[in-house]
Amino acid sequence: MLIKLTGGKVYDPANKVSGELRDIYVEDGKILAGVPDARPDQTYDIRGKVVMAGAIDPHTHIGGGKMTIARMLLPEDHQGDPVARTELTRAGCGHAVPSTHLTGYRYAEMGYTACFEPAMLPANARQAHMEMGDTPMVDKGAFAMLGSDDFFLRQLSEKKDFEAIKDYVAWTMHAAQAIAVKVVNPGGISAFKFNQRKLDLDEEHAYYGVTPRQIILNLARALKELGVTHPLHIHGCNLGVPGNMETTLDTIRAADGLPIHLTHIQFHSYGTEGDRKFSSGAPQIVELLNKTPNISIDVGQVLFGQTCTASGDSMRQYAIGKSAHPKKPVTMDIECDAGCGVVPMRYRDKSFVNALQWTIGLETFLLFEDPWRLFLTTDHPNGAPFYTYPHLIRLLMDKSFRDEMFQKLNADAQSQSILPSLKREYTLDEIAILTRAGPARSLGLKDRGHLGAGAAGDITVYKDNKDREAMFATPELVFKNGELIVKNGKVVKVVQGATHVARPDYDRSIERPLKDYFERFHTVSLENFKLADDEIVTGDKGSIVVQPTAARMA
Amino acid sequence: MRGEEAELDSALERAADLLDRARFPVFGGLLTDIGGAAAALSLAEKLGGVIDHAASAGLMRASKVMRETGGTPASFGEIRNRADTVVVIGKAPLARDPDLVEKLFPAKPGLPRPGDNKRELILLGADKAKTPKHVSATAVDSRASLPELVALLAASLREGRFDLRDTALRAKIDAAAARLRKSAFAVFVYDPAEIEEPVMHTVLEMVRHLVLTTRAAILSMAAPGNGDGVNLCSTWTCGLPIRTSFAGDVPQHDAWAYDTDRLLKSAEADALVWIDALAGDTAARPKGAAAIVLSANPTRAAKDDIVIEVASAAADHDAALFLPPLSGIGMVKAGKADKGKPTVAAVLTRIAELIDERRAA
Repeated sequence: MLIKLTGGKVYDPANKVSGELRDIYVEDGKILAGVPDARPDQTYDIRGKVVMAGAIDPHTHIGGGKMTIARMLLPEDHQGDPVARTELTRAGCGHAVPSTHLTGYRYAEMGYTACFEPAMLPANARQAHMEMGDTPMVDKGAFAMLGSDDFFLRQLSEKKDFEAIKDYVAWTMHAAQAIAVKVVNPGGISAFKFNQRKLDLDEEHAYYGVTPRQIILNLARALKELGVTHPLHIHGCNLGVPGNMETTLDTIRAADGLPIHLTHIQFHSYGTEGDRKFSSGAPQIVELLNKTPNISIDVGQVLFGQTCTASGDSMRQYAIGKSAHPKKPVTMDIECDAGCGVVPMRYRDKSFVNALQWTIGLETFLLFEDPWRLFLTTDHPNGAPFYTYPHLIRLLMDKSFRDEMFQKLNADAQSQSILPSLKREYTLDEIAILTRAGPARSLGLKDRGHLGAGAAGDITVYKDNKDREAMFATPELVFKNGELIVKNGKVVKVVQGATHVARPDYDRSIERPLKDYFERFHTVSLENFKLADDEIVTGDKGSIVVQPTAARMA
Repeated sequence: MRGEEAELDSALERAADLLDRARFPVFGGLLTDIGGAAAALSLAEKLGGVIDHAASAGLMRASKVMRETGGTPASFGEIRNRADTVVVIGKAPLARDPDLVEKLFPAKPGLPRPGDNKRELILLGADKAKTPKHVSATAVDSRASLPELVALLAASLREGRFDLRDTALRAKIDAAAARLRKSAFAVFVYDPAEIEEPVMHTVLEMVRHLVLTTRAAILSMAAPGNGDGVNLCSTWTCGLPIRTSFAGDVPQHDAWAYDTDRLLKSAEADALVWIDALAGDTAARPKGAAAIVLSANPTRAAKDDIVIEVASAAADHDAALFLPPLSGIGMVKAGKADKGKPTVAAVLTRIAELIDERRAA
């Protein structure tokens, strides 16, 4: 079926289209080049509307053990936001950590068509993919967590051949069906098992003697040489610690030209100025990042209200457990690989610390010059649930609204912040980069995040409303692979998205030491650890898209 | 059906009729894999029924404690490799898994672990009759009740003052507490089906106290019959654990109200779907309402039951299950795939389709 969207103002920065009136044709799920003589089977008159590709969230915790721990932990979150079954959609509940089906519906209703889980433990990849499989409407993908696993730490400490490290990284991506690799508190999750309560960039792991700097450089280089498009996704050391801006600056310098991505950088941008020894490090960090083109970031914006933090960083999550609200943190050590911490959190605008976190995130957005290296995230649900994105977009696009919100903050936080002096207002082009084109390019999604010929028919149509929060909260039309799935902000058709993976080459002889390692220490066999394609593609549950990787470098 | 053998198609039609007419069906037993659980959740939601599991009692207790106070779990592999002190509380853990100590204390050395203590097992309220020779074990057993033993250990751990006339017990408790204080990674193992919620709270408080200076965690024994797997699947699918009802506008969880036995005894439920199809496990179907029994085991059917013989998960077909040694979901390959019998998921999905057809007609 050929469909035509006619008369919309198209914002497609990947193809250098900025607010031009264009017709878009979609056939068999793909966007066609202009077809002037075509006779569409269906035409949507969208004159005056804003058209963008479906939005992509490159960092949102939607699947895996920690999310279901959070779901179990918070009946107040769940029974406080229940959703009834309809003829079309499943029942569910949950605000900060909604059930899987609701997560898919709510993302689609906000114009998103792809979401990426950034912290999948390889040992728990099966459950993560099951949960993502039960998340309809959107494409999915996940980043395998490495860097605190004993096999890798042993490789590093024994100074194994670097090619073997690359083989292990690639093998893990295959086994866990991942599209990228993330490191969380590099080495710190393992160090916490040895009762280290902090691990700075050049501090040695108590047993393995390796440092976070070594871990980051080895993994970043491995991914580059394996040809994986998305660079090492780094949740750095010392998350949430006042003064951690120095660690972040050191991490930026440490990359030394290697491509890396620093995630939820807001949580890593804290100084120790002022009477309360807590201040913004965003200006200094962003100043350096603006001069460092090899590094991309996402913000992890804090927005006010109740949420639940969930992270693989058991060391830091244990430390913030004392701030839990309600007071019921979970800390877990997991299976030779990792750990996790789930800490309910309520961010308040009258709290000095929370208000500064809010300003630090916004300062980062507004000072950062290259929108192609910056992604819009709240690190759902850590900074705020994902439904707050429209509010965040309005904060970025509307200086007077931002000023109005700023006036509500804790007075001491206001007096410390440079935010009122930042006049920048994001444009629709820039929002389209932050939420579509940039993440697609960074993740290597060739046919997502743009509206050029050959792209998937993932399209979002908005009413052009000066209230950008209202505009982005309720798109008029959302298409997934050319099918209309959302109309006036409500699901009208339930579809299953694909799972995106990357499969860099590796030497299969890496399985010999791995097999021995599994037999000696693990509780599952090597073969059982691997997730087969037909575990992801079952019944009506979507498909696998293998995104290309570049040729392996020696 | 009614004691007579019938073709599968006709049994499914009857089951669809019965369930379509049911006012408030309960899906119980749920000894099945994740695929079967997902299909049961979907059908229960469609029909406005309840989902429950045969091993809900312990699961609900553990879930309630977590919802009240959080938790500090460690996965099985972590404990096996790294714990230097393991305290097994009560008799149930070893009764549930007689090889538990051997699994937690493998003869060969594990991964690097914190500290240099020799690994030690403390049995609290259980005897050490079956402890392998290579394991250094002490038993703290007495006529004292389990809650009392846990409370005494917690008091001694904090070096608080308390009186105990049984001097022999006092010495053992104090020795165990001293060992815990010098542990690098202490783990408490219990079965939530055996110990009550206040006892679990006391154990968690011990962990929290230890973690101020060292590392400690708990291992809550997994429920039998893939109970944890079914509970996880329910939680991610609808946001609530098992014992959830879909009868109202929105899903509602209540560990007391949506207990299969209670619903049948009170006659609130008017139909039962009993699922008993997991290799190596079985649960007896409770008496009560008219039942549709999906079973891989020989079944003593009541007169009005519709019994559908299904494949046994992990025996007749590959099955995703919560695996206690992994503390997570793993894939168990079937010994020999028997494609002759349908899976629980296939049967429930077909019944759902037949109900849709009736409603559309």
